[in-house]
Amino acid sequence: MFGLCNFVKKLATSGSTPLNQQIRNTFILKRRTPLPLHKKEGRPIKMRSRHFVYELIQDTNVLKQPDVSIILKQFVNGVGSAGDKLTMRPKKAYEDFLLPGLAVYATPENVEKYKIDENKRKMDDAFSSPYVKRTIRCLSYIVLQITMSKTQPWVLEPWHIRASFRKSGFFVPEYAIEMPPHEIKGPDLTLQSKEFYITVTINKTEKVNVRCRIHHWATGLERLPWEENHWKKPYEALFPEQAQVLESMPLPK
Amino acid sequence: MATSRLQASLRHLSKNYKKKGRFEIGIASELPAAYKKFWHEWKVLKPVAVHFIPQEGKWKRDELTGETLPIQNIPIPLKFPNEIHDGIWGGEAVIKGFQKRDEKRRRVPHYWVPVLKRTVVRSEVLNTHLSVTVTDRTIRLINDHYGFDHYLLKTPACDLISMLALKLKKQILTELMNGCPRYAHDPAKQKSIYEEYKTYLTSYTPEEIEWYGLSWYEALSKIAKQKEAASKPVPLKNMYRKALVEKLKAVEIEESTKGNDELEKTTSWLSNINPFGKKDEA
Repeated sequence: MFGLCNFVKKLATSGSTPLNQQIRNTFILKRRTPLPLHKKEGRPIKMRSRHFVYELIQDTNVLKQPDVSIILKQFVNGVGSAGDKLTMRPKKAYEDFLLPGLAVYATPENVEKYKIDENKRKMDDAFSSPYVKRTIRCLSYIVLQITMSKTQPWVLEPWHIRASFRKSGFFVPEYAIEMPPHEIKGPDLTLQSKEFYITVTINKTEKVNVRCRIHHWATGLERLPWEENHWKKPYEALFPEQAQVLESMPLPK
Repeated sequence: MATSRLQASLRHLSKNYKKKGRFEIGIASELPAAYKKFWHEWKVLKPVAVHFIPQEGKWKRDELTGETLPIQNIPIPLKFPNEIHDGIWGGEAVIKGFQKRDEKRRRVPHYWVPVLKRTVVRSEVLNTHLSVTVTDRTIRLINDHYGFDHYLLKTPACDLISMLALKLKKQILTELMNGCPRYAHDPAKQKSIYEEYKTYLTSYTPEEIEWYGLSWYEALSKIAKQKEAASKPVPLKNMYRKALVEKLKAVEIEESTKGNDELEKTTSWLSNINPFGKKDEA
């Protein structure tokens, strides 16, 4: 018991010495006993056992490595477009960008080589922002449920759609919403099994179609029965001219 | 008298005797200067201090006594296991030594082994990705040199140590010397790559590249093969056959010319005959 106590105490107080376990890292060592001086231009003195007792000075593997600067060679979704200079953690830069050949090191020569005129770039660039592709993908996959009253009369307006977008996590200004070609009036229960699409303009440049369905909402006995996985089922187009586009749009799985 | 002479010669020998070096024994004495240069770069030059911090300057003053003492940086002895040649460890190696874990306890033997990882490196000149065993230091050095090729080409052999790195360096140098034939499908890229890396070619001659990155036994077998190829005996039957054919040809030519002469002669002889002339005239 006494021995165990001693051992625990020793463990607790051994903070000054480096870890006694085997450390498998890049290490910088120091001789505990320095070698004695040898003759000028002579042979070093023969080492004794005591000259092989080392102390760990530093462990370079646990030091934080500095960031790496890279220049993108092409548009990368969610990161940036060609010619952008980025600074990131070395592992990420090496594995995700330098090895696949998406980027080069930001050497002075490469900075000169991949320099791009700002005005010209805006004209040429396919996308207004590095995140546009992601937003387009998200928007084209959703089925927007527009909740309208089952009892009160209404006419569908852009602010209804804005509110529905907000419910599903998208903040869309009203000027970006392009309404369907004809006015939609309700309550009309035939709309319940129909769909249409609206067009959203991202950054006033990219356009994306969003599939919309109207749901009639009421409380109490008038409430419509619950339907399972209704967003997975294909619906009929409300306007025949939109049928073809709606068919080509993907449904969520 | 005799003993004193023996002593004198012994003294002379002991003064002037010099142990034969690696390049003075047997077939190794025929190795070219190009290989000697590589060997010097690989085994004789002092590598960068990786596992210890060298002291700066030439002299230091003892703080207590004010005595001036020279600074002698003696590197920590390293162990090079065979596995070092299968990877690129960036100058790291295994250290064998002791730890003093407690003042009152006996020292404990310990091996400090670098952390090895398998990762991918990209070679621009060779236009390939390679899966190699590396350490974190290697990746850091690659990033510091702005690329794997630059790292290999800028670093001397004493810091690369491993056979794999040296062979790759040799291959890259050969590729550059031939003008990057792997990029033959894309001349613009070929030119840009060559322009980027051609500065490294200035420090090597073609012969030095040929002898670069060879281990001792590879170099010896190479020189032995060269020697054998130079002094290969030609079978006598081939020589004799050649001589005979030449002889026969010569005879044929001679005969054909002779035949023409004879024909001419016969015609001349026939023309000389005058069957209707007198006996004296013929």
